[in-house]
Amino acid sequence: MGGHSDLKLLVNGKRLDGRTQFDLRPIRVEVGVLHDADGSAFVEWGKNKVICGIYGPRECIPRHGADPYKAVLKCRYMMAPFSSLEEHGRSGPNRRSTELSKVIREVFENLIIVENYPRTQIDIFVDVLQSDGGTRTTCVTAAAAALANAGIPMRDMASAVAVGKADDTLVVDLAKEEDNFGQCDMPVAFSYRKKDILLLQMDGLLTRQEIETLLNEAEKASEKVYVKQADALKKVYDSKEEKFKM
Amino acid sequence: MNNNRKIVLPGERISDKKLYLPNTFVEGEETFAAVIGMLDEEGKYIPLESRYKPLQEDTLVGIVTDVRHAGYSVDINLSSPAFISSKDFRVELNLGDIVSCKVGQVYEVGDVDFAEVKKLPPGKVIHYPPAKVPRLIGRKSSMINLIREHAGGDIIVGNNGYVWISETSNIPLALKTINIIIQKAHMSGLTDEIAQFLKNQTGESKISAQTGE
Amino acid sequence: MPEEFKDLIMSHLKRDALVSSLKKGVRFDERAFDEFRKIEIQKNVIKNAEGSALVKLGNTQVLVGVKFDIVTPYSDRPDEGTLVTNAELLPLANSSFETGPPHEYSIELARVLDRGIRSAECVDVKSFFVEDGKVLGLYIDIYVLDHAGNYTDASGIAAIAALTDTRMPKVEDGKIIRTESKGKLQLKSLPITVSSIKVDNFWLVDPNIEEELAMDCRVTIATTDKHVAAVQKGKGSLTKKEFLDNLDIAFKRSSDIRKML
Repeated sequence: MGGHSDLKLLVNGKRLDGRTQFDLRPIRVEVGVLHDADGSAFVEWGKNKVICGIYGPRECIPRHGADPYKAVLKCRYMMAPFSSLEEHGRSGPNRRSTELSKVIREVFENLIIVENYPRTQIDIFVDVLQSDGGTRTTCVTAAAAALANAGIPMRDMASAVAVGKADDTLVVDLAKEEDNFGQCDMPVAFSYRKKDILLLQMDGLLTRQEIETLLNEAEKASEKVYVKQADALKKVYDSKEEKFKM
Repeated sequence: MNNNRKIVLPGERISDKKLYLPNTFVEGEETFAAVIGMLDEEGKYIPLESRYKPLQEDTLVGIVTDVRHAGYSVDINLSSPAFISSKDFRVELNLGDIVSCKVGQVYEVGDVDFAEVKKLPPGKVIHYPPAKVPRLIGRKSSMINLIREHAGGDIIVGNNGYVWISETSNIPLALKTINIIIQKAHMSGLTDEIAQFLKNQTGESKISAQTGE
Repeated sequence: MPEEFKDLIMSHLKRDALVSSLKKGVRFDERAFDEFRKIEIQKNVIKNAEGSALVKLGNTQVLVGVKFDIVTPYSDRPDEGTLVTNAELLPLANSSFETGPPHEYSIELARVLDRGIRSAECVDVKSFFVEDGKVLGLYIDIYVLDHAGNYTDASGIAAIAALTDTRMPKVEDGKIIRTESKGKLQLKSLPITVSSIKVDNFWLVDPNIEEELAMDCRVTIATTDKHVAAVQKGKGSLTKKEFLDNLDIAFKRSSDIRKML
């Protein structure tokens, strides 16, 4: 955000990758991609590639961190050192990954029926294998699918998308250049049934009217994302099994 | 998948009445699925993925993970191990012993009384999806008896998703068969398909036994 | 290897069943004792990296990404590039893998593969020289995504597969232009690791996770066409003859695997 560049992000209503204002990049969701995890999902969203594994409910470690009335939810978001087109990244958590782990966890604290599993923990591990702008919304989308794949009881599903503004135009699903050089980035996650906002972050400058328009577009886009998640979850029960391809 | 069956996702409404079933939740006057499941021809909700929750009369398979003088900790696929008091069970157990038992009283999540605890002979214990246990057993145990018959030895299916296969069984054959059931648990006509599969497999193994492979 | 990972308890009765089956000459997954599980290799799966490969060895899955950066050379080797191998046993790969600082197993894994690649002189670090005080650093990052046994060999195959997929980035004015490449990274040899374990009196190549849990001894051998490039004995002990027998198997199996690259 706020980066300076002469790069034109929109020309004649077309974005750099040929999309129009409110188009999504191609999205592919697969579930059950890991053998040991209780549930898992792989999401390819544009050039983003994210894998998510769910473990639990399992014994809470350390034990004094357990809640006698409900399951404790834990989330770890990490970017692989080879995930970006820039230099080799450092492994291990940093300030950014710690914050993202928290906001992703706070999406699912609203959905998982944690009262069913007192004194336990549920782990959400999301690893970004390739990044292309919008990793956190890709991760929320993957985690929701993986949790459903794990059979963790939830009141609703979550689907996410980033919206924002680039070259004075409101856009849905920001690509990397739009994220880096655009005017505003606003990642949002909605629940499917209730349409509650589960994740909302924003930086840049927008008017009240622009925010309202973007939230409406984000809601519509999240429903398209939901269809991808639902199709992947249902595909597991089709007779033909397809091999996981990265 | 039959056309008149429908897969539902967490949060999808399954009834406009309050049902209070496992793996569902009620909001207002309606009932919703909490886990991915199937609505069958009559609109009955069958969870397809779920965690094990102990119910009275369940058969369990467990592994002894700790030995203390008051009793034994047993891994029964719950988030924390269950405890079998040595008062209730007089045979001495060792770390790593495999046991089967029945669930007696269930008090709250994780607190369970056991009955009919038995130490099992050497065998392989596999993890099987608890939601799919009814298919592995089959109507009046038809499916599991079919596998026992072809694989030779004994098999005990725990409702908790642990399945014990005796070392006297044809373990590779039992494993292959169980894997097919996991993949096709939601489909109809499975018992016939498995019967055919086992027939073909045991036919083949007889031939390879003759050629000395 | 995970013999000490906390909640993977190998029941002795499960071990008894495995041993009695091995005595009949049968592994539970019906493989021959010196047979690998099915190997699948997908290259160039991470386009942002200079090289990458996803390897599935049975249900074990490992992703390796290779990246170049401009770095300062070591003072004692000013004209040579650097090579860093790192391994992560991701917590999503197995219920026994924890978050937190690297476990001794992930460090062992990285070091064993690093030794094989270095000893075999697989990559020519002299070709990484850029200008005085600047060389290319090659990073090999091993991501164990799914652990169902023998992540060592899955990682070894993935690392070499990723190196064979690696393109040399263009370097201009001491800077890397990642979107342009000047051909493939040249490899002088392809070291491949083969691991075997001993259970009771039986040696099993490419153990799956339940076989690993029952193991009494493990040995990993990296070989090229003609040479042994690295060896690591894990748990347990073995005789000279047992080691030499394993060496013969390692040459055979690594040659089969090299053909798949």
